[in-house]
Amino acid sequence: MFKHATLILGYEVRGLLRNPIWPLFGIVQPVLYLVFFAPLLGSTVPGGSDSAVLAMLTPGMMLMIALFGSMFAGFSIMNDTRNGVLERLIVSQIWRPAIVLGRVLKDALALVIQAALIIAISMAMGLRVGALQALLMLALMAMTGLLAGSLSYGLAINIRDENAMSQIVQFMAMPLTLIAGLFLPVSLGPEWLQSVAKFNPLYYAVEAGRSLFRGDLGASTIPMAFALFTALCVLTVTWSVRSLRKLAG
Amino acid sequence: MIIEAHELRKTFVVGRGRGKAREIEAVRGIDMEVERGEVFAVLGPNGAGKTTTVRMLATFTQPTAGQARVNGYDVVKEAGKVRASIGYVGQLGGVDEMTPAIENLMLAGRLAGMSKKQAKARAEELMAAFALTEIGNRPARTLSGGQKRRFAIAVGLVTAPPLIFLDEPTTGLDPQNRANLWEEVRKLRDQGTSVLLTTHYLDEADALCDRLVIVDHGKVVVEGTPEALKKEVAGDIVTVRLADGPAEGLEQARLLLTAEPYVREVVQEDELLRAYLDDGERGLPSVLRALDRDGLAIQSITLERATLDDVFLKHTGRSLRDAA
Repeated sequence: MFKHATLILGYEVRGLLRNPIWPLFGIVQPVLYLVFFAPLLGSTVPGGSDSAVLAMLTPGMMLMIALFGSMFAGFSIMNDTRNGVLERLIVSQIWRPAIVLGRVLKDALALVIQAALIIAISMAMGLRVGALQALLMLALMAMTGLLAGSLSYGLAINIRDENAMSQIVQFMAMPLTLIAGLFLPVSLGPEWLQSVAKFNPLYYAVEAGRSLFRGDLGASTIPMAFALFTALCVLTVTWSVRSLRKLAG
Repeated sequence: MIIEAHELRKTFVVGRGRGKAREIEAVRGIDMEVERGEVFAVLGPNGAGKTTTVRMLATFTQPTAGQARVNGYDVVKEAGKVRASIGYVGQLGGVDEMTPAIENLMLAGRLAGMSKKQAKARAEELMAAFALTEIGNRPARTLSGGQKRRFAIAVGLVTAPPLIFLDEPTTGLDPQNRANLWEEVRKLRDQGTSVLLTTHYLDEADALCDRLVIVDHGKVVVEGTPEALKKEVAGDIVTVRLADGPAEGLEQARLLLTAEPYVREVVQEDELLRAYLDDGERGLPSVLRALDRDGLAIQSITLERATLDDVFLKHTGRSLRDAA
């Protein structure tokens, strides 16, 4: 069963490697923020050192690629409903969940690599972060990738309309970005904003990321984020796998 | 029997959740039996329910009612075993455009449980058989329509299944590629693979299949071998166009020809009369004499062999060309 998921993963990864340039485009935007936006934040962060600013901003920028990259993953599967690839796979001897799982794993993998590149660039700019903390952050990114990817595939399979899909993704991405405090911690804002943010899963990921990058491994935000993301991943992956049934009518 | 279907039905509900759900009866009770080793065609106009029928037999779509067994397995209760027995080449092809075509073949093999080596060997074998070896490493989007279709069929054959479904295999192909594809289908039959193909081309069904069903509006209209079906209509058809004003002359000619003993049936189609004869070569002079005797001037007269279109016309009251 899981062998089929790894077969699909391998197939997808080989596809990615044939065109490795596109995922690199995905990190241009967050890197631009790191270069041109971080210097503006010196006065907002206690201490104000380059490292402290980057520790605050980098986790947000990593989650930005999760939102604006992985959320669009569904477009590929929409294409596969149209050229018959999905139809053929469904009547093959494949373990059906592997069709979605293999792809989601590919997206998570791509996201982890992008995130690792961003950490590397941020470190070159002066960020100081321990190996364990960086690895935990990458694990959190992988889960974010699973969540965003499976949400995107589920939406794509259910909607099957590129225009509607891009509208919905944009509609979701913008408020999620703002209310998560991707650029500046929500704790700087008024209380009502902090209350609203508690309903946004991304908020917990950003907060956990900031705790990690500050080196505060004991922070409660970290287990909180992992627990929440595990639960949400189970939900969205199950939903997207079940959505495959709808294709058959 | 490789396929036995009984009273298969499929009703789709469209516009659900918007207040006014509407039911579409795509298939309204289809029975068919396909023998092992047969090339069997489902012929019918667009929208007749051909694709839905194939999708139900291939376990893609669940039937609303009725039963079907493929290779002895129930398509609903034993779908996994059915999938292991079939190759499925949908109308859309199912070849990933961005990927080298050989990758599609390899993945299909691996998913069926082959090792990497076995999958590679099988892929190469199929590419050689379908004259695709040289283009196997090109992304599928760079291939021509005919090449893509051959690849799609090769992917369907990776597991060497006893039965392959080909849904409209030649739609959109030029005559040369169509002829090539017909050759491939004949080779499949020679190797003992059962083939179920759908088509809306009369000549394709006529040229390729051992037996066929004609479907229309989700039901089987008639079933048999192409020869038997055509014979049932008549051996030949004489089509007459009169020179003079249409109405009375045509009616007079129709009555006249109907009365001739060697004429089986006369059908009027616009300004044409189609007389069905068992033996057109012998009958034609008599038709000419009979019309001449009554002073009816002929503008043109043609003699044709009966086609499956005549079978369709007889059973549905309209021509397949108009039915789409």
